[in-house]
Amino acid sequence: MSLVALEGLRPWVLQRLTAVYLVVYAVYVVAYWLIFADLGFDSWRSWVATELNQILLGLFYLAVLIHAWVGVRDILLDYVKPLLLKLMLLFAVAVFLIGSGFWLLKILMMVNT
Amino acid sequence: MSSDSRPIYLNLIKIKLPISGIISIFHRLTGLLLFVAIPVSLYLLQLSITDLDSFNTVSALMLHPLSRFFVLLVIWSFVHHFITGMRFLLIDLEFFLHRNTSRTSAWAVVVIEAIVMLLVIKGMFL
Repeated sequence: MSLVALEGLRPWVLQRLTAVYLVVYAVYVVAYWLIFADLGFDSWRSWVATELNQILLGLFYLAVLIHAWVGVRDILLDYVKPLLLKLMLLFAVAVFLIGSGFWLLKILMMVNT
Repeated sequence: MSSDSRPIYLNLIKIKLPISGIISIFHRLTGLLLFVAIPVSLYLLQLSITDLDSFNTVSALMLHPLSRFFVLLVIWSFVHHFITGMRFLLIDLEFFLHRNTSRTSAWAVVVIEAIVMLLVIKGMFL
């Protein structure tokens, strides 16, 4: 396999690995919502605040951000031809995703206080 | 042949795309929509765990007639992206590689998606 081919393999693998985690986590959360259909503020907040759920939620958004990066990157590489525009859009997407990651960190810190 | 003189014929209206192609395009579109929804999800998550008042704001927001269209759109995007994505993962494992199984599985996606969305609509509106 050439180096160029290997370069495409890593995002491909990341896309699939994160997808599997997203499926598992989505089933977990949707099942929780369905079982506790009428959940109120206190039970919801304390559920989110458990250590396990904070870790799983952090992993969820990490997976979402990686998955979204590979997906949107693929779309931009497919449809945006001018190089400068393509680079600028890729940069904007990266800033958007990293910013979202920091926002989640802030939320996780908030739920701990 | 140089890349400039390739015969390109991509009139999407005239191409009769198979069902697997259609759900694949919608996998991309819904993915893009879910990408845009990331900060919205963070905003709603933050509000929902801040205090009782903001939790109630989120509840009211989700039930507001105007926002219900967007809630439904995002749920549908998620459901479609999720189910077609699982089909793609199975294709990676070398399922559905032949034309017949490819189309059957694509139609199966449409049917499963319709059932899930009927349940969602029933849960949201009835």
